[in-house]
Amino acid sequence: MSTDSKSGGRIPIENGIEQTLRKVLKESLKSDLIDALLLPVKVPSGDSYAWILMQDPALVEEEASPMAAVMPVQGAKALKSLTRKGNGSLRVAAMMRPCEVRGTIELSKLNQINLDNVTLISYDCPGALPLSDMSDAPQDTEEAFMGLLSERNFESTAVKPVCQFCTEFSMGAADVHIGMADPDTSQLLLISGSEKGTAFLSATGLKVDEEPSAWEKQTDSIQKKRIQQMDKAFQTIQPMVEGFDNLADTFSNCIGCHNCQSACPICYCRQCYSDSKESSLESAYYLDKAEKRGGISLPHDRLMFHVGRLSHMSLSCVSCGQCTDACPVSIPVAKVFSYVAAQTQQAFEYKAGKTAGEAIPLKEYKEDELKKIHEMTKSAESQESPHE
Amino acid sequence: MAKKSKSVLVVGAGIAGIQASLDLAEMGLDVHLVEESPTIGGRMPQLDKTFPTNDCSMCILSPKMSECARHPGITLHTLSSVTSITGDPGNLKCRVLKRAKYVDPVKCVACGLCEEKCPVKVDDAFDMALRKRKAISRYFLQSIPAEYTIDKEHCLYLTKGVCKLCEKTCPAGAIKFDDKDQEVELKVGAVIMATGIDAFNPIGFGHFGYHLYKNVVTSLEFERMLSASGPFGGHVVKASDQKEPKKLAFIQCVGSRDESINKNYCSSACCMFAIKQSIIAKEHIKALEPTVFYMDIRAFGKDFDKYYDKAQNQYGVKFIRSKISEIREKEDGTLKLKYSLENGEIRYEQFDMVVLSIGLEPRKNLEALAGQLDINLNEFGFCRSEAFKPVQTSRPGIYVCGGMNGPKDIPESVVAASGAVAGTLKSLKIERQALAASDGESGEINVIGERPRIGTFVCHCGINIAGVVDVKKVAAEAGELPNVEHAENVMYACSSDCLETIKQRIEEHHLNRIVVAACTPRTHEPLFRETIKEAGLNPYLFEMANIRDQCSWAHMDEPELATSKAGDLVKMAVAKARNLSPLERLPIGINPKALVIGGGLAGMIAALSIAEAGHEVVLVEKDKELGGHVRKLYYHLSGKDPQALLSETIQKVKKHKAIELLVNHEIQQINGYVGNFTTTIHSPKTDKETTVEHGAVIVATGAKEHRPSEYGYGQSTRIVTQTEFEKMIHDQSFPKGRLRNVVMIQCVGSREPDKMVCSRVCCSDAMKNGLELKKVNPRADIFVCYRDIRTYGFKEKYYTELRDKGAMFLRFEPDGKPKVEVQTIDDPNSKLTVTAFDPIMEKEVVIAADLVVLSAGIDALEENSTLAKMLKVPLNADGMFLEAHVKLRPVDFATDGIFVCGLAHGPKDMDETMAQAQAAASRALSFLTKESILAEGTIAEINADLCSGCGYCEEVCAYTAIEVNPETQVAEVNDALCKGCGTCVASCRCGALDLRGFSNKQLFSVFNELELIKED
Repeated sequence: MSTDSKSGGRIPIENGIEQTLRKVLKESLKSDLIDALLLPVKVPSGDSYAWILMQDPALVEEEASPMAAVMPVQGAKALKSLTRKGNGSLRVAAMMRPCEVRGTIELSKLNQINLDNVTLISYDCPGALPLSDMSDAPQDTEEAFMGLLSERNFESTAVKPVCQFCTEFSMGAADVHIGMADPDTSQLLLISGSEKGTAFLSATGLKVDEEPSAWEKQTDSIQKKRIQQMDKAFQTIQPMVEGFDNLADTFSNCIGCHNCQSACPICYCRQCYSDSKESSLESAYYLDKAEKRGGISLPHDRLMFHVGRLSHMSLSCVSCGQCTDACPVSIPVAKVFSYVAAQTQQAFEYKAGKTAGEAIPLKEYKEDELKKIHEMTKSAESQESPHE
Repeated sequence: MAKKSKSVLVVGAGIAGIQASLDLAEMGLDVHLVEESPTIGGRMPQLDKTFPTNDCSMCILSPKMSECARHPGITLHTLSSVTSITGDPGNLKCRVLKRAKYVDPVKCVACGLCEEKCPVKVDDAFDMALRKRKAISRYFLQSIPAEYTIDKEHCLYLTKGVCKLCEKTCPAGAIKFDDKDQEVELKVGAVIMATGIDAFNPIGFGHFGYHLYKNVVTSLEFERMLSASGPFGGHVVKASDQKEPKKLAFIQCVGSRDESINKNYCSSACCMFAIKQSIIAKEHIKALEPTVFYMDIRAFGKDFDKYYDKAQNQYGVKFIRSKISEIREKEDGTLKLKYSLENGEIRYEQFDMVVLSIGLEPRKNLEALAGQLDINLNEFGFCRSEAFKPVQTSRPGIYVCGGMNGPKDIPESVVAASGAVAGTLKSLKIERQALAASDGESGEINVIGERPRIGTFVCHCGINIAGVVDVKKVAAEAGELPNVEHAENVMYACSSDCLETIKQRIEEHHLNRIVVAACTPRTHEPLFRETIKEAGLNPYLFEMANIRDQCSWAHMDEPELATSKAGDLVKMAVAKARNLSPLERLPIGINPKALVIGGGLAGMIAALSIAEAGHEVVLVEKDKELGGHVRKLYYHLSGKDPQALLSETIQKVKKHKAIELLVNHEIQQINGYVGNFTTTIHSPKTDKETTVEHGAVIVATGAKEHRPSEYGYGQSTRIVTQTEFEKMIHDQSFPKGRLRNVVMIQCVGSREPDKMVCSRVCCSDAMKNGLELKKVNPRADIFVCYRDIRTYGFKEKYYTELRDKGAMFLRFEPDGKPKVEVQTIDDPNSKLTVTAFDPIMEKEVVIAADLVVLSAGIDALEENSTLAKMLKVPLNADGMFLEAHVKLRPVDFATDGIFVCGLAHGPKDMDETMAQAQAAASRALSFLTKESILAEGTIAEINADLCSGCGYCEEVCAYTAIEVNPETQVAEVNDALCKGCGTCVASCRCGALDLRGFSNKQLFSVFNELELIKED
């Protein structure tokens, strides 16, 4: 995505942001360009959202919640279920948070999503609210989120912890992006990020001829603050993660439900090895071990599960925070994963899901990368206080 | 019809002899490998590292040595030499003298007790006499065959009739003082000579003070110093004070490029050898300041210039162009070097240590041997090979490879070896080989469904293990482990009587899994697998615990802890054995036909070599005509005519019934794998497609001359490339007017920052065309602007000759290139001015040039990438095809069944191209002569239910043995290509991949055992 392809266009906001957006999306569905939309829709009970693949323009206008307050199912997972077996002939546009777009890009690199006929739409995200807020007080939560959007509030502490220090909250690899951070609150700024995006915007009747420089300035300044937030957050996370004992403490109340893995968009295995029969051992092994240690906790290897997941997916982790939302015992899983992901991705100078063309680090070999990792490990070791 | 034989003799078991033997044996021939020393391996075991990859020499060689020793088609005759050869090709009688070893090789288990007791110390030739060995000794630690021999010149008993200590000590009763020399006669169809080279002995040479000054060593001695297995354990110290040197000098061309000692040839390898040593030494001693004193740096091989650049810019090695006139030793052992710079300025500099880069020369006994065998030597005493016959001696039926017929580095020797093999084939009887009965079906004991009944054998290895580890205790404890039915300790697990014992125990106790705790599986696993196979068990029901290299040797001073560790290693091996299951090696049928892509010299020679061995070949050429680049060559340094060679070769190709020739055709698609390729070939002229099924592919697509973008090329008819110049001389089509001053500019499009490649042939081409010009126009003045003159090997004499004929050589630096000015632009006949800096006179020289000849380098073809993608083989950074291993597999790709030769692989001259083409043919024939090959037993397998089709495995596999099926989105393993390295398994986060024989379950059982042990 080169900046010079970024072209913006505006439409006036009428009857609120959501209604305006629904109109745009409806227009796209009426055009020849898009056959179906993948959008969040509030569930009948009103306390959550579900992803609905819709082809009826009327449904879009009446039901869609394109910018949902919470993120029950990560959009990348929804799109994966649609396109895993190929894209078919249906041309789909999906509206997602930036982290969902990044998850989508990662999964497309891992052959789990086919983006050939997909147009991705994203928006500057103030952060998702915790899932539990929505089930506790649906209406308040929804209003709170709409408030953040209309006030252009990107510094809320009500959003999920990882969202508060998310630096990739704005435009990434999406084809169309909605500049919610733009200072002009009377109009919606729509930006094209690709040829697909330009086609989409012109199908909705929008002229794209504006260099969105005010928006760019605004997102830059938000990002600077977010980076500061991240540095601060990482200082508090570091002692939770580094050192074996600390990590064990952080996960000590894990109940081994593996919800974090089910909610994770990146964990794409059909069956997790840790759930497989190969991973369970003979009772004699546990008894031996218990005898030697004086006692062992069961089910065993709960920490190993998290370490395994970290080693498998941290290079592709998009810090969406789904794991924390899914954790029934309130372990700050996303903070840990986000912290580790930042380190591993930095080692390979990679940002998961940021650009579509960049190969996943483990799929390509650069001669100097091992050296860099070695240096990082060495500096980490010298910083770490001895634990033994 | 000439007589043919199934037997062949290879003389000399260095890397060349080993390679030749393996290729021949793989074709089903009976090979006799005769070696003068007590071990195979030649020079390579003495080397620490190899350039330009810094691979450990022994690590890459030893698998080949083991393979050679184990191969059922190879009979080793060590401590032996050939005394005469009579008869004609196809029917040669060779007399071989097998010298007494005084140790029975069948009984000797190489425990080393005898050497410990032997009272006589002798200089160790392997370590360049830097340390002593005993009169009874093993040549070096990993020597093969693993046996001791007695040096009869020094043995007390054999010289004075007293001692016999070794006999008293030997637990195997292997000492045989009454051993006698024997002479045997071998009947063979052909002979390959590969007796190798010697290094120049600099005693008394020049003013270098070798053997007078303590801190002056030869490069070979220095190599042993650098080696971790060498006399100083890799710690480089000065002999004068046992301290590390800080300033280290390398002096090049000691015993090379020197007419005064009849060595007017370049030893070819020493420049790279010195660069390597300076890099490795710098890695050993960080503060080291290496300086190389040289005449020209001859880094002419593939990726060598990059290595040279790395030495200068990454390691800070200093290179000074000069000749050393004198070395003086000071009292403290420091050495004062006197040298003159290019401009004649005399300098002095002090160094702590001096390494003499000694040249390569013919073996001392070659002259005598050549007389005995009636083969000719050249003017420098190397075996003579005529031009365009790079692997032939003067005597029909006797071929040559390696350093015997001229200085070569390792890959060149390997190429020549495989090339020589192709030469011998017309005198040998090659038959399609069916699978040996023992490899396929056999009456194996069915163990599936039975509970594991493990037999454990703990080896003493003489004192090697038992001297430290309490092997009885380890065996007794092993007997207590679950599923272990039988455990015992044995003196030498690998001795023939113990192997019998193992077979007996399998029968007695109905054992179905065997664990041997001894040395390393790298050398011994095949032997034990073979043993249990003979007893009816599947060979994969075997596990080895290394309680020697990784236990008794490593913990010599802690016997109790070592014993406990040995016990743990056995426990882990038993845990794995419990989970072993039988594995099968599936046969893969081989189509005997070959496809050769490219009809230049390389492609034609390769096709002919294969066709002459009785196999069909499809030869595809995209041009209308055969011949490739050689069509543009009219002269050869040897005086022979390349066009004559070309038309003769084209005639042979066209006439040969086994060659199907498709000129004007292009490759469209290649599918399949070793033995089973299907290729679609398209004719643009008729727009028709042909499909060919074949078993192997040889890539011989060539390269092209670089099109210069500098020095005014294209602006005047008087600025031409070297090949254009060659045609001019041949056609006598010089531009009109005066032809007095001819300026040649070297390295055009080579050795540039974005293409750090030497094109290898341009220096010799300049000499060749310069000499040819002198023939037609003796009054011409030739100026050669160059960076380094790289007339390696025997080409050096033509450099001397051109210099003697008055050519001027002007050296330039990359930042001071000569300037070519066309005086009247747009006038194709305009006068030219060349301005160059002469570093000798230290001033600019302006030449009114009548002709400027640009030595344009060799560029890779752009279309290489398309073919590489089709074949799924790699290219290097410069777009040339990248072989499987730059040292030991120079014509193979990592993917089986695909080979490369000629310019497609990298720049090379015609002889090198011909040798490499023959080599590619031999390598292909080593597959094609078999009806089928066996896939590995240890290969990856996929659980389709778990696979997510993410494709990580596909990206990491070096052998293109796994691919995601786009239909099913599930990865599929190609059993024929998988080498069982396990990389895909490690990359698979879904746990869908597993490695047979090293399954997750098996490995976890080992780890779990270890975990339990650790917490003791």
